[in-house]
Amino acid sequence: MPDDTRHASRVTRHDTLSPITHHSSRIPYFPGCALKDQARAFERSAQLAMQALGWELFELPRWNCCGTVYSLASDDLMRHLGPVRNLVRAQELGEGRLVALCAMCYNTLARSSRFVEADPERLRRINAFMDEEPDYRGGVEVVHLLQLLRDEVGYGEIEAKVARSLEGVRVAPYYGCMLLRPREVGIDDPDSPEVMEELLSSLGAEPVEFPQRAECCGAYQAVSRPEIARGRVQEIVSSARRAGAELIATSCPLCQFNLETHQNVTHHSSPIAVVYFTQLLALALGVPGDQLGFELLRLDPRPVLSKKELV
Amino acid sequence: MAERMLENPSRVTRHALRISSAEPGFIRRVEELSGENLYACYQCGKCAAGCLFAEHMDLLPNQVLRLVQLGDESVLSSKAPWVCASCLACQVRCPKGVDIARVMEALRLLSLRRGETALWAKEIPAGVPQIALVGAARKLTP
Repeated sequence: MPDDTRHASRVTRHDTLSPITHHSSRIPYFPGCALKDQARAFERSAQLAMQALGWELFELPRWNCCGTVYSLASDDLMRHLGPVRNLVRAQELGEGRLVALCAMCYNTLARSSRFVEADPERLRRINAFMDEEPDYRGGVEVVHLLQLLRDEVGYGEIEAKVARSLEGVRVAPYYGCMLLRPREVGIDDPDSPEVMEELLSSLGAEPVEFPQRAECCGAYQAVSRPEIARGRVQEIVSSARRAGAELIATSCPLCQFNLETHQNVTHHSSPIAVVYFTQLLALALGVPGDQLGFELLRLDPRPVLSKKELV
Repeated sequence: MAERMLENPSRVTRHALRISSAEPGFIRRVEELSGENLYACYQCGKCAAGCLFAEHMDLLPNQVLRLVQLGDESVLSSKAPWVCASCLACQVRCPKGVDIARVMEALRLLSLRRGETALWAKEIPAGVPQIALVGAARKLTP
């Protein structure tokens, strides 16, 4: 009961943002490149967490790369082929929805989906080009796992299923860019998001507010101008540290890589481990810590978690 | 007079002097590629104030936009579009609804489509994951 009232205003607020209408507890997800390699812990923990909640995430068959960055050019139809082919795969399954876990995949898929639906001529040209594919007819909704957890599973339900409260763990939720911007695909308010804070609270953890939570980590500049990414990351991590964070949680494998690689560790500051939010979710839902891929992260969160006897 | 103006520390003022060399084809091309109304910008500077990458730019985002408005093609040699990471912090804040990230993308593409590149394989640091490589290759190579 207290939960229902606490989140009542949020549900109303997102009615217009999240047109999720149908209900099925078996839903296809798009893994993308990172979840099969550097972010295996993300995929594994998401599946285990959803299973614990009574949902099944199944892998989209024959998926291909989403392109990672959305093309901002008006004439670059070619760059939308990757995302649209994935939407065709979901359409073939007769699915109206596709869940993304990686924030970059979410952004690219969701924006391309809107881009082709906004103009039938664009869609016609893309379909004509994808000769051998069935035509994409539009209508597949791309949903981020955080939206699914908020709008369909519900924080009340999650809280009720918490088997191991994360009480006392101070976690800084780091949104980065791709979950929030641009506004039309953002899963929450771009200036004052709450979705991760609320999820963490429902797990018993203590979400730590820090001003840099929605600031860019430098993204792919890690390749071309690593010094720029380093500067960004150091500001973000020291902001989280000053706010008292013991862990940072994210949903973006590129943010995760940048944040753990470019931290400046000096003699007066120890590194802060950067986990996927699904690892904390699964842990709280009672999945044993040794199944959640903590050992795959470059910075080990287990010392923090074992102090609270969570692993 | 012209010399005195050239001493002006403001790059935009200096560039404004070259308006006679404005290239209408260039303005149209940027408008087409970006799909943005370039003249909606009234130079409030909110994009530059909030840009997390501005410290690494030779021109601030609003200055880039001003030069495009003036049709000054020399803006193509600015480093700013290559430093922009399309994080869209400016896009959600612009009071005039101008998506400067799209203008930056248009400027990158004008160079890339002439065969220029901003990423060399030999300079790529070891150990960067494919999500970063694909992103960088798509934004910074032809």
